[in-house]
Amino acid sequence: MSTSTRKRPPTSQHPSPAAHPSKQQATAPPPPQQTPKPPLEEEFLDEDVYLDETLIPYDDEESVILRDIEERQGLASRLAKWARPPLSDAYVSQSKNVVYQQLEIDYVIGECHRELLPDRFGPAAIIRIFGVTREGHSVCCNVHGFEPYFYISCPPGMGPDDISRFHQVLEGRMRDASRNGRVPKYVRRIELVQKRSIMYYQQQTSHPFLKIVVALPTMVTTCRGILDRGIQIDGLGTKSFMTYESNILFALRFMIDCNVVGGNWIEAPAGKYRRTAKNLSYCQLEFDCLYSELISHSPEGEFSKMAPFRILSFDIECAGRKGHFPEPIHDPVIQVANLVTLQGESQPFVRNVMTLKSCSPIVGVDVMSFDVEREVLLAWRDFIREIDPDIIIGYNICKFDLPYLIERAEALGIPEFPMLGRVRNSRVRVRDTTFSSRQYGIRESKEVTIEGRVQFDLFQAMQRDHKLSSYSLNSVSAHFLSEQKEDVHHSIISDLQNGNAETRRRLAVYCLKDAYLPQRLLDKLMFIYNYVEMARVTGVPISFLLSRGQSIKVLSQLLRKAKQKNLVIPNMKQAGSEQGTFEGATVLEARAGFYEKPIATLDFASLYPSIMMAYNLCYCTLVTPEDVRKLNLPPECVNRTPSGETFVKSNLQKGILPEILEELLAARKRAKADLKEAKDPLERAVLDGRQLALKISANSVYGFTGATIGQLPCLEISSSVTSYGRQMIEHTKKLVEDKFTVLGGYEHNGEVIYGDTDSVMVQFGVPTVEEAMKLGREAADYISGTFIKPIKLEFEKVYYPYLLISKKRYAGLYWTSPEKFDKMDTKGIETVRRDNCLLVKNLVTECLHKILIDRDIPEAVQYVKNTISDLLMNRVDLSLLVITKGLTKSGDDYDVKTAHAELAERMRKRDAATAPTVGDRVPYVIIKAAKGAKAYERSEDPIYVLENNIPIDPQYYLENQISKPLLRIFEPILKNASKELLQGSHTRSISISTPSNSGIMKFAKKQLTCIGCKALISNTNGTLCSHCKGREAELYCRTVSQVSELEELFGKLWTQCQECQGSLHQDVLCTSRDCPIFYRRKKAQKDMAEAKRQLDRWNF
Amino acid sequence: MEIDPASTLQRKQSAYHSLDETFEIQKEVYRGQQYSQIYFARLHMLRTLLYSLVPSWKPHVPVCTVLGLEGGKECIIVGTLYKHMKLKPTILDEYSKERSAAPLVKRHNFMHPDDHLVLEDESGRVKLGGSLLSPTSYVTGVVVALHGKETDAGDFLVQDVLEAGLPSQLEFPLKSREDKYVVLVSGLSIGSSTCNPLQFQLLVDHITGHLGDEQEQGIAAEIVHVVIAGNSVEIPHGILNRQNLASKDLSRLSEPIKELDILLTQIAAGLPLDIMPGPNDPANFALPQQPLNRCLFPGSSAYNTFRSCTNPHCFELDNIRFLGTSGQNIEDLEKYSEAKNKLEFVERTLRWRHLAPTTPNTLGCYPFTDRDPFLIESCPHVYFVGNQDEYETQLVEGSEGQLVRLICIPKFCETGTAVVLNLRNLECHTLTFGTSV
Repeated sequence: MSTSTRKRPPTSQHPSPAAHPSKQQATAPPPPQQTPKPPLEEEFLDEDVYLDETLIPYDDEESVILRDIEERQGLASRLAKWARPPLSDAYVSQSKNVVYQQLEIDYVIGECHRELLPDRFGPAAIIRIFGVTREGHSVCCNVHGFEPYFYISCPPGMGPDDISRFHQVLEGRMRDASRNGRVPKYVRRIELVQKRSIMYYQQQTSHPFLKIVVALPTMVTTCRGILDRGIQIDGLGTKSFMTYESNILFALRFMIDCNVVGGNWIEAPAGKYRRTAKNLSYCQLEFDCLYSELISHSPEGEFSKMAPFRILSFDIECAGRKGHFPEPIHDPVIQVANLVTLQGESQPFVRNVMTLKSCSPIVGVDVMSFDVEREVLLAWRDFIREIDPDIIIGYNICKFDLPYLIERAEALGIPEFPMLGRVRNSRVRVRDTTFSSRQYGIRESKEVTIEGRVQFDLFQAMQRDHKLSSYSLNSVSAHFLSEQKEDVHHSIISDLQNGNAETRRRLAVYCLKDAYLPQRLLDKLMFIYNYVEMARVTGVPISFLLSRGQSIKVLSQLLRKAKQKNLVIPNMKQAGSEQGTFEGATVLEARAGFYEKPIATLDFASLYPSIMMAYNLCYCTLVTPEDVRKLNLPPECVNRTPSGETFVKSNLQKGILPEILEELLAARKRAKADLKEAKDPLERAVLDGRQLALKISANSVYGFTGATIGQLPCLEISSSVTSYGRQMIEHTKKLVEDKFTVLGGYEHNGEVIYGDTDSVMVQFGVPTVEEAMKLGREAADYISGTFIKPIKLEFEKVYYPYLLISKKRYAGLYWTSPEKFDKMDTKGIETVRRDNCLLVKNLVTECLHKILIDRDIPEAVQYVKNTISDLLMNRVDLSLLVITKGLTKSGDDYDVKTAHAELAERMRKRDAATAPTVGDRVPYVIIKAAKGAKAYERSEDPIYVLENNIPIDPQYYLENQISKPLLRIFEPILKNASKELLQGSHTRSISISTPSNSGIMKFAKKQLTCIGCKALISNTNGTLCSHCKGREAELYCRTVSQVSELEELFGKLWTQCQECQGSLHQDVLCTSRDCPIFYRRKKAQKDMAEAKRQLDRWNF
Repeated sequence: MEIDPASTLQRKQSAYHSLDETFEIQKEVYRGQQYSQIYFARLHMLRTLLYSLVPSWKPHVPVCTVLGLEGGKECIIVGTLYKHMKLKPTILDEYSKERSAAPLVKRHNFMHPDDHLVLEDESGRVKLGGSLLSPTSYVTGVVVALHGKETDAGDFLVQDVLEAGLPSQLEFPLKSREDKYVVLVSGLSIGSSTCNPLQFQLLVDHITGHLGDEQEQGIAAEIVHVVIAGNSVEIPHGILNRQNLASKDLSRLSEPIKELDILLTQIAAGLPLDIMPGPNDPANFALPQQPLNRCLFPGSSAYNTFRSCTNPHCFELDNIRFLGTSGQNIEDLEKYSEAKNKLEFVERTLRWRHLAPTTPNTLGCYPFTDRDPFLIESCPHVYFVGNQDEYETQLVEGSEGQLVRLICIPKFCETGTAVVLNLRNLECHTLTFGTSV
């Protein structure tokens, strides 16, 4: 059997697809309807690629699997106990309604169902819904009868005859465009319907539209292309048509039309569904059903709960060759660790690890060892099939683990491996994808489609939802779980693998931990609840949330709403950036300074959504400039926005964006109220996830209208929103400064010191937090009264004291009650940037702490001076100076020479085995070197530096690392910050260690010096020179106190590492350079030896 | 004035034999060794011992390793306990992202109701369940034998516990007994604000027989040995790290040591004296602490009666074996476990046969490679712990009839109290010196 998993021609045993996806047509002579696609397409929606391109002959696969399973009877029985609960009789006899929570919806092309649709024939799209019942049964529901369609506006004067002529012409053009002759009819029918476009305010309630129903989803694109370019119709001439709703994914279309939202419960009533004759999937309940018979439950009450999904968390280990990052063509997969948890349970019910070669047992874990790699992979496949997970999670599984497994199986020639999905006969495919979005940037990724199972890569979720300095599993778990993870370097992994059963057990324990952490993160951050709720609120499938950007969520809501209102959404041409840009949010000039009086902060609650609601801003309320003149609308019925656009008020036409927003905000209010009532922690989790999802959704509506390469950009709306926003900030400033004056009867003049997008900072001049709060509330109420509802200014917090550095950069203590402050709040003082060393972060944090909390500026200054002095005197812990950068390509590929790439190259020359390779993070420090050496030449491996006493370059750290952030903080506070902090007596004494391996040391002679005064002493046994004899006690105390401190540190560091690795009796192997104590631990070990030597000199 | 020879008091003598060798680390160096080896050595020694006790404890229950556990099958496993503690401070706290605004109250005890015990041997770990083994009284590092079985959840349900128990003891020498006294004192803290120089001078005068009438001097003459169990001086640590010390600071640094030396010289002139380092003394931090350097004591070190010892300290006086520490081991147990009083902690260490089970986990120690010096291989007759809040004492009896006198020596600078032990019958009393009028 061929190992190719792509573009396999369909066999005769199987329904053959009717059309090829547009991508594959590239090989054919360029068809006329091919449209050039813009290079940067955000979530291009019309890629309706149908899914059965990789089916393999039915019997063929079945026999392959059967043969395998016989060979591994033992394994099969081991796995069988984890199978899903058996079906009850009611299910078997089909007398029970099947109610299930759906997780994934896709579609395949198949023959029309003969019994359900007796009057249709030929290939059709069959929607597949995968889900889980309350009892934990897996469900695959094949939905029949739903047809792809889109709209065009009907040219005026088109009668029924014209329509049928038009139908014929279109059918003819479609036939020319496709080479597949098996479809009896491309354009199934064309209906005349009454609809209205969402764009622009119109006085008529409806216009005639043509609804074009086609045979297969992929034909929508083809048909749209034909109509876009124009079509010759007798009597009407050549005409091109604007299409409506022609870029909606078929599955989403189905969800919208059937009121299905992501992750909701669906019911198939007994009697309305039929068990499939021959199961095409591995689900327990597989049945066919008409789309009109399904009942979709809205996620409320009983139906807001979660089904007991099975969540598989896994991790693989590969044995790389020395000096190379593992590659699937060469390097074997040696271990796979799996944990399976039922949604809602706190502990996994399956823990196992599959290892290549023997492995000692691990308590509580099922260890399965195999002699050949092929068996490991196949065991994993069988495990997946038996466990039947609904959601597969892991860390970086989409980019690494899954593609690696599949490519490895290909390299080993195991064609039967990648059948991991729920659909029989179907292989898992790996595709390279590029995800690009304004918000998240461009990311290259691999897409692995496992049919019927949702993949949830925690790595992607982290990158999406959290701003962190590093996204390694180690630092993510340190951040969220306050746990350091042991990190075993991949060069050690091969050594452990090549050892004995014990060393492989060590590796297995490590691998299990890596599989367990994603599950813990998932639980801790409530990802399941938050994402399911987000899918429910926005109505998109769960899998879209990670793989697509924000705008599909808004589009889905817009489409649902438009459908209710009988509106249709035009498929706007991708306009690119032609529409130009518009002025963004306003930022009031920041009056930088250190404010020692309370600063009240007035915030607009959800400003942009409120503006859109208050002024009824929507696609359907926008009046075109032309209509403004023509329609002569009375001024009391329209709003002219500060940016010059005209929108009608809600008495003429209620906008649907405002309506969506109102519903979202009302739903959020409800969710928050319910949250207060709710007792059950799981229910609370759902509600909290929901209110968060609602908030995010409300805020993304504005962005949707402004996304120029998005689905339906409308800059008139977005620029109006920001212009109102600017006006409001200015208005607030003016009102505050007019009202709160000494003249107006207040004690002090109020002053607006800064204002940002949706908040204004006011100094009322009062000395206490309490008074500031009182005035803040008063101001908020007063100013809110001057705005149109629901725009509301809220008083939330007081900053006291407040250090305003510049716009978008500030720090202050955050008070919400007058008794005590809540926290220290900083913005834009990026202490967590990756390219900064830890010293910067510590220094900035400590200074802010001293300035804001201790209110002791001199002490902060002293602290800075001491730190700088320590740096220059070489007394700073090396681990604080380590800078880390990811090596994304090998050194030669970088256009400019970079410190980390150069270092990686040098390290490779020293020892190829442990040198960092592409994909690793390279830690380095900047060392002293010859004058004029470039910065990239001065990078060095911190461990090498430690071992060889290489002097670091304090000047580099002073100038390039700490000076900027420090000056930023101190400039508003001190007059001559730069002079005061960076120059002065504390910078004058410096100390540089002598490298132990440098050239000059070969000629130097070592001689003992007096511990007290460094004078050379000739007596080899002595400690002190004759002059220092009297100071013995004092000098001894000093030496011993250094030893004592180091000993304490040594103990703490090494026991911590034992703690992390979870074993007392085994040596610590971890080489996690992300761990803050890695270098300290090494250094403590080395310093300890040296200090002990010094101390021993006293024992004469 | 003529001296009446009959009234000349002759100080009694006793035979001293130091057993500190095991606590000395002169030749050992830091070569990159880790702590796993000391745990391994400990487990190895104590397991051999526990295995030998098992046949008489549970004759019919099989012994297996953590790995060999089979669900539901009763067996005995031997391993090192590890206590999983939620509140245990770690060095990583320094890096925690949010520095809390309010300074944390330093806790005295890090226990939490969620703490649980885990048993570990070289083969693996298993979580311990059941109410028999209370996490409040055990700490990380203790080696025990457990009888029980693995539950379905993968825990080990403990049904019975066997500790190593008191080691065997040299026979208590009974012949020709006469009253001989040993003075135990700790926490002089010379140089601290609470230190009252006169108090210690009175003690010195009493010991050396410069105080009181003939009867009292007669008692003083029966004192054969003095042990100073740690924290003799208090040095301001803050100033030690500064680069250039002002002369005023210099004197603050060396004055307490000079003063101590003067007082010790007075004692050493009269009778043998052992001084042990404590956590505040100018000595290393990790256990075993090495003897205070003789260069600190130019006066007293001239006498051969002056001995600078290790902490822990072990010696024999007239074949009576003493073992003691300056208190770190008990202080650490107090942070990570609970007991009704300090003596209970002391007794536990004896029953676990380990002076300081929390080394190296929470108590710093030297990373030994081939041995664990804190194992109590032979049962002492006197086991003392310095620097405690109050004086406590108790006689403990072992299963083989071993008798051990446990003593908590109070801090002298706070209580003005020293402990006097009679070698004849191991009875104890205190000496308290008040200076207020």
